[in-house]
Amino acid sequence: MDNPIVTLHDFMLRTESITYILVVAVLVSFPFFWRFLTDRDEDSTRPDGEHSSGKHH
Amino acid sequence: MPAPKFTLQKPALTPFNVVAGIILAVGLYVTVIRFTQGLAATTNLSDYNPWGIWIGFDLLVGVALAAGGYVTSAACYIFGLKRFHSAVRPAILTGFLGYALVVLALHYDVGRPWRLPYPFIVQSGTTSLLFEVAACVALYLTVLFIEFSPAALEWLGLKRARRIVVRLTLVLTIFGVVLSTLHQSSLGALFLIAPSKLHPLWYSPYIALFFFVSSVVAGLSMVIFESTLAHRYFHDKMDDEHLRQADGVALGFGKAAAWVLAGYFVMKVIGIAQTDAWSYLATGYGAWFLVELLGFILLPCYAFAIGVRDKNLKVIRWTAAWSVLGIVVNRFNVGLIAFNYHLPSSERYFPHWMEIAISLFVVTIGVVAYKFIVTHMPILYSHPDYDAH
Repeated sequence: MDNPIVTLHDFMLRTESITYILVVAVLVSFPFFWRFLTDRDEDSTRPDGEHSSGKHH
Repeated sequence: MPAPKFTLQKPALTPFNVVAGIILAVGLYVTVIRFTQGLAATTNLSDYNPWGIWIGFDLLVGVALAAGGYVTSAACYIFGLKRFHSAVRPAILTGFLGYALVVLALHYDVGRPWRLPYPFIVQSGTTSLLFEVAACVALYLTVLFIEFSPAALEWLGLKRARRIVVRLTLVLTIFGVVLSTLHQSSLGALFLIAPSKLHPLWYSPYIALFFFVSSVVAGLSMVIFESTLAHRYFHDKMDDEHLRQADGVALGFGKAAAWVLAGYFVMKVIGIAQTDAWSYLATGYGAWFLVELLGFILLPCYAFAIGVRDKNLKVIRWTAAWSVLGIVVNRFNVGLIAFNYHLPSSERYFPHWMEIAISLFVVTIGVVAYKFIVTHMPILYSHPDYDAH
């Protein structure tokens, strides 16, 4: 490895940097996953939450 | 000549009864040996491996898979999702039986089981995680018993007692969620004390969080899985409400499971980043870790999402079974396979056949008890003399 971990600072810099990149990637991708999960919901605004038969009442 | 009498009684020698009877008979035999000759005669436990499958399977898996009780009752009574109401009683029953069997299994595993109440009467420190687990499991088992009792009271016709217990529903649900949050995570936190014994890919400062979040997945999946089995084997016991709501329960819980699994996957990856354990992924243990991460977390997450999008209940139900298996794999990994990974193979633990027999015995007791209760009590249908609560 080019930059071996010697100090605690090295370790924290490496692990936290990767974690921050991962978290940003997650924050960007999760809305897409939520949309993927819910975009075929027939009518999520109905108060009783039951699945409609395709018609809005 | 008198007419022959015909009865509609089912034959006693069904395949289920025969298999269950054999398992119970062997279990009783091993029970006698366990309590007369001790742990050494019945287990492969040692000083290196003091926790075997009675902890790794019966306790860790049992507690996780019993999480459906608090997940479902919280969804129905705290979040107000009344369309899941029909799933509450079966989930509470599964949870109650699960925790009761965990305590039963602990009697086999603990060297001196008569000391199980010691955490409460001979105090050796409230900062111990084991004390936390003991307190929460004891309290939550009591909560589940009270939550389950309306069904038994309806069966017994004790209307007044049932009315009193039903009034406690919301308080018990809140209590159950709090206790579950505490001890599901504490079971994972037990491994924080052994950073050098648990493989770095499974050891994480966040392991308590992993156990809690995965218990939610286990609870959601177990409700779908158990509902599938109940539909297959107890369809005649279900009333219209259960039959009508069943598909909605599978879709709703499948969606929740997809979402929670996505979060769990991210947490596991961040766990690797936080301990800088990337290099271990290229090892044999790394390959097995990736099987768990990709095969039992990411794959069911995607499959649940596809099932929910396409309203494909078959996919959701198979994925729920796969997720339940994934929880078993995870708890086995943490408790047995990745634990003591540095020991030579001669010192590694493999369960004695009597340990496996007792685990099967405990599971069989649960299945038989479940069958008896749903056959006799209003679990899969509403009792006509009582209002829903």
